[in-house]
Amino acid sequence: MAQPTPSQTVGPFFDRQLLWSDGGKILFADQGERITLTGRVVDGNGGPVIDALFETWQVNAAGKLPIGGEGARPYGYGRVSTGADGSYTIETVMPGSFKGPGGETYAPQISVTIFARGLLKGVQTRVFLASLDAIKDDPLARALGNSDRLSTLVATRDPNNPKIYRWNVQLQGGGETVFIDA
Amino acid sequence: MVETRAADTHPPYLYPDYKSTRLRAPAQPLVRVPPSPLEAASPSFPRQFVKDSEADLTTWGKSAPLGEKMVLVGRVLDDGGRPVRRSLVELWQANASGKYPHPVDDHDAPHDPNFLGKGQVLTDDEGRYRFVTVKPGAYPWQNHAFAWRPAHIHLSLFGNAYAQRLITQMFFPGDPLCAIDPIFNSVPEAGRTLLVAELDLQHGIEGVALGYRFDIVLRGARATPMGV
Repeated sequence: MAQPTPSQTVGPFFDRQLLWSDGGKILFADQGERITLTGRVVDGNGGPVIDALFETWQVNAAGKLPIGGEGARPYGYGRVSTGADGSYTIETVMPGSFKGPGGETYAPQISVTIFARGLLKGVQTRVFLASLDAIKDDPLARALGNSDRLSTLVATRDPNNPKIYRWNVQLQGGGETVFIDA
Repeated sequence: MVETRAADTHPPYLYPDYKSTRLRAPAQPLVRVPPSPLEAASPSFPRQFVKDSEADLTTWGKSAPLGEKMVLVGRVLDDGGRPVRRSLVELWQANASGKYPHPVDDHDAPHDPNFLGKGQVLTDDEGRYRFVTVKPGAYPWQNHAFAWRPAHIHLSLFGNAYAQRLITQMFFPGDPLCAIDPIFNSVPEAGRTLLVAELDLQHGIEGVALGYRFDIVLRGARATPMGV
């Protein structure tokens, strides 16, 4: 087995060289219910992480893998950076649920990877766009058992605008978001 | 503590000498789960999405950029030694003066109007990639007194599965600044040489550019579900 090349931080200076034009507007070949996922990334003191690279990857509205792309971007993949208040925003479609190889059902979710200055390795996780009750049979929910940490992965629907889902990421400390090694 | 595997060459999340890790490093263990079918797949970057010109960072401007021209070649492999084919490799870097085109870079060094420092290619059927660029400069940073980052090139890889996603930095052979760089030294000692390119004159351009080789190994697909 060859040794994997070590990870290194993305650093603070990637914006002008790595971001995509309109990288927060996720493209798909097909239609779906348009939603917005937005929130903040904060550090162990609750301070804003102002320079994170926030990437998302998801199935389409029918729960299928997005294949292909448009322009210089692949379908289903988003890439933005956080702003001065640590906020990010992704405009996408509500992903469908999908099946795993053993027939298990994955609840509607978006896979998220965050890179930043101070993160020597990216952190990977999944955000659920469904209620806690509706995700209890999801493989990650099962892996977490009864842990109250599962709630860190559930986006909450804005009571004033049901098209907006809010989800904050806490990199460290009490309320630390669950990160995965998948 | 965040778990590490025996053969892990990756740095830990928390490496206090690199100050920015102190408030950003997750403290809870990662939850090990099999990749979802989504994570076992990769976004599609068809060949036409990458322009041939994006492999040569020295032709972006109206005239040649300042600095020492170099060719960077390498192969992208998985940990079983198999080539990672037709996968996206993105490269970004400081210019020859150690300056990035970014508003928060306050290093008192000049921008180069002929150098953006951004490139991308798809690997070929043997996993090979090739860029033409200039050697980036070292630059000071605020981590500690007299802190200077060694010259380095940032690389971003997608592999053939989302779970293979990697961002790393490539360093130059014989650079004395590596020994005092906490970001480089965050990597366990046995892994540090994996971040250093080799001088490879044969892949340079005679009379024009020095050649360097940097092979990159991505993790393979996780075969066995491990649970938490």
